[in-house]
Amino acid sequence: MNERKIYPTYFAGGALLLYIVFYVIPGIMGICYSFTDWSVYSSEINFVGFDNFIKAFSSDYNYTKYLTNTLEFTIITTVLKNLLGLVLALILTKRVRLLNFHRAVMYIPSVLSALIVGMIFRSILNPKVGLLNVGLRAIGLDSLALPWLTDSKIAFNSVMAVDIWKGMGYIMTIFIAGIMSVSPVYFEAADIDGANAWQRFRYILLPMLSPTIAVTTVLNVIYGLKVFDMVYSLTNGGPGFATEVLYTGVYKEFGLGRYAMGTTLSSIMFIFMLLIGYFMIKLLTRNEEALA
Amino acid sequence: MGIMKKIVCVVLVLTLCLMVVGAIAETTITYMASNDWVMDAEMALGEKFYQETGIKVDYQIVPSDQYTNLLMTKLNAGECADIFGSQGGQFDIVSQLNVEKNAVDLSGEAWASTVDPLAATELSVGGKLYGQPTQDISAVWAVAYNKKIFSKLNLSVPTNYAEFKSVCQAIKDSGVTPIYECVSDGWHHVLWFPEMGVAMENTEPGLAEKLNKNETTFADSAAAATLLSQIKEMVDLGFWGDNYMANAYADGAKNIASGEYAMMVANQGFPTEVNAAYPDFPVDDIGFFVIPLLDNQILNVNPVCPSRFVYSGSANVDAAKQYLAFLAKPENLQYMIDNVPKYNTLPFTGVKDKYSDEIKAFYAAYPTHGTVYQTVVKYLNPQWMEIGKEITALLQGDETVDQALKNIDRNRADQAAAAKDPNWK
Repeated sequence: MNERKIYPTYFAGGALLLYIVFYVIPGIMGICYSFTDWSVYSSEINFVGFDNFIKAFSSDYNYTKYLTNTLEFTIITTVLKNLLGLVLALILTKRVRLLNFHRAVMYIPSVLSALIVGMIFRSILNPKVGLLNVGLRAIGLDSLALPWLTDSKIAFNSVMAVDIWKGMGYIMTIFIAGIMSVSPVYFEAADIDGANAWQRFRYILLPMLSPTIAVTTVLNVIYGLKVFDMVYSLTNGGPGFATEVLYTGVYKEFGLGRYAMGTTLSSIMFIFMLLIGYFMIKLLTRNEEALA
Repeated sequence: MGIMKKIVCVVLVLTLCLMVVGAIAETTITYMASNDWVMDAEMALGEKFYQETGIKVDYQIVPSDQYTNLLMTKLNAGECADIFGSQGGQFDIVSQLNVEKNAVDLSGEAWASTVDPLAATELSVGGKLYGQPTQDISAVWAVAYNKKIFSKLNLSVPTNYAEFKSVCQAIKDSGVTPIYECVSDGWHHVLWFPEMGVAMENTEPGLAEKLNKNETTFADSAAAATLLSQIKEMVDLGFWGDNYMANAYADGAKNIASGEYAMMVANQGFPTEVNAAYPDFPVDDIGFFVIPLLDNQILNVNPVCPSRFVYSGSANVDAAKQYLAFLAKPENLQYMIDNVPKYNTLPFTGVKDKYSDEIKAFYAAYPTHGTVYQTVVKYLNPQWMEIGKEITALLQGDETVDQALKNIDRNRADQAAAAKDPNWK
């Protein structure tokens, strides 16, 4: 590194100042408010210590369900989006007819608004007149025509399925870039050594894709922990409380004027994101550190 | 530059100036409301208002299951449409809407004195009127039934819960779904609970007062537990059919007219609504009886209805007031009554009602009246959508009756504590 060509620190000052003013300070203020009884019902704000946090983890309320739903959503959609995205990327980096068309078709759902996708799928998954169940009944598969969004036992799976459908195309494009950056020399050498397709994938491609997998995992985890619009538009947290996640809970608390509780739930999510993000990046980039 | 080019330039500049002046001169007021609160007739009046005053009304209609959250978020964030719709209720407009801060005092408007006194009370704080009622408060939520189906099966109007179950079973056995219920909107299926506050009060006199004084809870009320159990029983016995979770309120008229469903909780404008959509279905083919859960035979009256409020932070307060004054003109109120099928009257003086003989007979059949619990019990109406979720969880088997009632009580206690209610210490 040519030290004479490094930009001075104060070049980052402007951006840093804006970031601190518009992100850091409001974030810290929000965390401070979670220790108060701030609400629309009273103009006084009083310090209440950890009362809100105790409530958040109390069995008298549903907040722990929001948290477990959020974590379940994050884990399942991350794993499946990575898996399906990788499978699609492997297929769409081979010689396939109309390759660009297929890539575009797979990618397009990810550029659609989550709200629009939610509204459309709410109609498609209507148990009586929705396209899916009408189609299934038409081909004699009545037993598969389920109440996708209206049965509390399967609604959450339906929400995750729609989200995976929407997001896997984006992950696929990242994996395509990762696969194409791997030099074909390694595969040729492995071929010469008699490695089969699975061995080439397992011992060459997968390790070389580990930085890409780290990126997609981090992106999916952050998205999953922050999910709101997909759940809101599909089920609004219902039926009952079956599909409530943390941010639909935050929205509800702010809507009901219970600001302190809303900021408490946000603060809890912030801590979770910090911890999960830190350990995840540590785990996924340990090889990079070893090489450095 | 040639003369033609000069002329074209002048014309373009003049057109641009006119557009700018026109944009400045034309005022647009925004009116945010829940689905089903703004009728086509009102939008037609809005167009007429624009022709007369040059003030455009931008109707922002929000799905009903999202509206309360959105409205509260906007009010709490300090931004809102020029006019917003909300349920009235003398407790709720203070605790929920903070109406003295967020809405404009309309007491001085010329139409204020024409509002029905019962309705005005529920929209006033400290003697000041803050809202304008939009719907027919004489209408009660009762069971609308298809008389032809009843006649064909030799059924009579049930007078208690056991008879109601028999009627529903007979209808179900005939291949018709007894009750059209629509959980997806989030609010309609809740009606079975607080509307039957009149029955809870009749079973346990003084219950409302004790609830308001925090001397008892819903979880301690046997009547409340029985009521929720009966709601669950209706579903378990198949009386709501298979699609009640996904049904929409907007499709109620269609499904009753088709004969696929026999009954629906609706108000007295419903027969006209059905007839307007399906002219082959006569108005008099729909009758009413009070919801017979808890053996109820009391007419459940509610002087509260969705109302319009002018946002205090609006930049167009005068224009918004003009719109409200326009709607409150007797000829425009009459236009609403005549053109909105479900309105039999509106809570203003100087209008002519359109009660049919059938509806008059229905009101006469239940001389004893009671006020519904969402109006007389504090901290109940604000959690209407939450109660909807509790009932849904109960119906899905995710909660017990006791858990649902405890959650309703807990939500009441939270609101009371936040409002520093002296009865909750």
